[in-house]
Amino acid sequence: MRRNRFLVLLVVPALLWSLTPIYWFCRMAFLTPLEIRRFPWPLIPHEANLAAFYNIFGFDYALPNGTSPASGQAEQIIRGLINSVAVSIVVTMITLVIVLPLAYMFARTSFRLKNSLLFAILLGTALPPISTLIPFYAMYLRLGLVGTLTGLVIVNLTVTVPLVTWMLIGYFRNLPPIERLARIDGYGHLAAFVGLVLPQARSGVAVAAVITFLFAWNEYTYALMLVNGSTANTLPTAISGFLFMYPEPSNLAASVIITIVPPALVAYFLQRHVGDMSLVDAVR
Amino acid sequence: MARIEVRGLHKIYGKHVAVQGLDLEIAAGELLVLLGPSGCGKTTTLNLIAGLDAPSSGAIMFDGQDVTGISAYRRNVAMVFQSALLYPHLTALRNIETSLRHRGLDRAARRHRIAEVARMLGIEILLNKLPSELSGGERQLVATAKAIVREPEAFLLDEPLSALDAALRLSLRAELVKLQKRLGVTTVFVTHDQVEAMTMGDRIAVMSNGRLEQVGTPDEIYNAPVTLFVAGFIGTPPMNLIAGEIVAGQFRQGRFSIPVTAPPGPATLGVRPQDVRVVAPGGEGALQVEVFAMEHLGRESVLIAESGDGSKMRVLVPANFRARMGDHLGLLPDSAQCLVFGADGRRVIVERGSVSRYANR
Repeated sequence: MRRNRFLVLLVVPALLWSLTPIYWFCRMAFLTPLEIRRFPWPLIPHEANLAAFYNIFGFDYALPNGTSPASGQAEQIIRGLINSVAVSIVVTMITLVIVLPLAYMFARTSFRLKNSLLFAILLGTALPPISTLIPFYAMYLRLGLVGTLTGLVIVNLTVTVPLVTWMLIGYFRNLPPIERLARIDGYGHLAAFVGLVLPQARSGVAVAAVITFLFAWNEYTYALMLVNGSTANTLPTAISGFLFMYPEPSNLAASVIITIVPPALVAYFLQRHVGDMSLVDAVR
Repeated sequence: MARIEVRGLHKIYGKHVAVQGLDLEIAAGELLVLLGPSGCGKTTTLNLIAGLDAPSSGAIMFDGQDVTGISAYRRNVAMVFQSALLYPHLTALRNIETSLRHRGLDRAARRHRIAEVARMLGIEILLNKLPSELSGGERQLVATAKAIVREPEAFLLDEPLSALDAALRLSLRAELVKLQKRLGVTTVFVTHDQVEAMTMGDRIAVMSNGRLEQVGTPDEIYNAPVTLFVAGFIGTPPMNLIAGEIVAGQFRQGRFSIPVTAPPGPATLGVRPQDVRVVAPGGEGALQVEVFAMEHLGRESVLIAESGDGSKMRVLVPANFRARMGDHLGLLPDSAQCLVFGADGRRVIVERGSVSRYANR
C-alpha cells in the first residue's frame, strides 16, 4: 500500500510534466482565432474546430464568422512531412542493415583491434552534433550536398550508426551462444546470422528501429543548418518557420501535433519489444 | 561410427598454448572421457575434433582419413553443448529437424526419423514446445535427440550435464551411457567432474595445461596414475601426497619413514585414504599427526589430520571411529599400496609385474 502511494507521488508529477504541454498544444490547435485572443483563455475548446488542420495543408476553412485562410507555411509543411517520412524510413533501413551485423560481430567474434574500434564507436556517440556541424557544412558545400535529402541521410547515419551499434552489442552478447551448434548443423556464418540469430533478436531489431526512427524524425540541428529553406527541408525546420512570420498559433500547434503522431504510433506498436530488451546491458 | 585418431595436435591462441602435442586414439564405438580442470584444453580439443576450430598443427583422422581441413558439418559429428543448447525460437521438433537440413530427405522421411528417435527417448509430447517451456532434463533429452537423429560418425558432448541439479545428473548419466552402448556411436565426453568420468567412461584421458597426462580405463587411472597430477586429481577423498626424500630404499619425511623401491632423491609419496592405518602416537616409523576434523559419510568416516609440516592427510576409518580435534595419532601407510613420484612429477615405476606397463602412457 505504502509502496503504491509512493509510486503515485512519482508518477503523477511525471505525467503532468510530459502531458501538460501536449494538452496545451492540442487545445490551441482546436481553438478558433477569436477564442485564442480571448482572456482568460478557455481551458477546453467549446467545439473541435479543424480549421488549423486544413490551413496547414493549404486549404481555406469556412468559419461561421468568416474564412480561416490557408497558411503561408503550408507548402513547407507538406514538403517537410513527406521529406521527414522519407528520411526517417531510409535512415532507419540503412542503419539496421549496417548496425545489425556490425553489433553482432562486435558482440560475438574477436578480431584484431576490436577494442580500439569499439572505442571509436563510443567516441562517435559521445560527440555533440554541434561540434561536427561546421565541418560537415564546409564539406557539403564542396560536395554539393547542402540542401539535399542525400546529405541529410548521410549526416543522420553518422549519429545513428555508432549509437545503435553501441546499444545492440550488449543485447547480442546476451543471446544464447548458438554459433557452434549452427556450424555443426551446416549453417555458414551468414546463414546462421540471418536464419537463426536475427529471428531470436526481434526485440533488439525493433528497439534499434524505434531509436533510429525517432532520432531521424526529431533531428533538428543538422536539418536547420543543411536543408532549411531548401526543397529538402524536414518537418521540424518547416515548423520553426512559423517563428518568423505573422503569428498563427493554431497552425503552429496543429503542425506540432502532426509531428508527434508518427513517432507515437511507432513507439506504441513496438513498446512490447522495448520492454523485452534490457538496455542496462548496453552500457556495461 | 568412426575410429578417431588425433596426431600431434597443437592449438595456439596468440601467446596462449591451449593444446600441446596431443596424441590420442579413440576406438570405434568407444566412450572416451576427456577429463581435466577448467582451462586444461579439453573443450578446445573437442572443438578441434568437431572441426569448429582449426588446429595450429597436427591432424585429425576419422577411420584413417584425414579430416583436418573438413568443415564441422561435413565430418558428420553431432554435438551436445553445456546446458543442452537449443535454438530458442524453434520448437523441439524444428530444433531436431535442423540436424537433417541438408540430408536430401523429404519431409515425410524426416518426420519419420524424428518420430522414431522421439519414441526411443520418450519425448513425443515435448516436440511442439519451445525450449523455454522445457525443464533442464527435458532440454537435455531434446538436445540428445537432435544429436542422434543424424546418425553421426561421432558423438561429442561438452559438459552436457554440468548445468543440471545433482539428482537429474545422476539419472541422465546412466541413461546417456546406456544409449551410447545401444547405438554404439564413438563418443567423446568432456567433463571436469571426475565422478562423471569414472562412472561413464570406457577410457579416460586426463588433461592438464594443454597436455595429455594419462589415458586409460577408469581402473588404470585410479590404481596406477602415471603422474602426480592424475594421482591428486582422481579419487574422493583425494590421494594423500607427502613430500619428502628417498634415502637408501626408505622414503623419509622427518621421523616418518617407509620402505619403497625407488632411486634416491627428492620424491613425493602417494597413498589413498583407504590404505592408511591409524596407530597409537609415537609409534616407530609412523607419521605423527594431530586430528584436524572428522567427516561422517554414514558407512564410513574421513579422518582429516594435520602432520608436522602443516599438510593435511585423509584417512578412511570405520563409522564408529572416535577422535576429538587435537588428539595425537600415528598414521601408517600400507607400503605395498604406496606410489612414489619423482621430482619431475612422474611416477617412479617399480618393477612389480602388472604396474610396469604403464611406464609409457
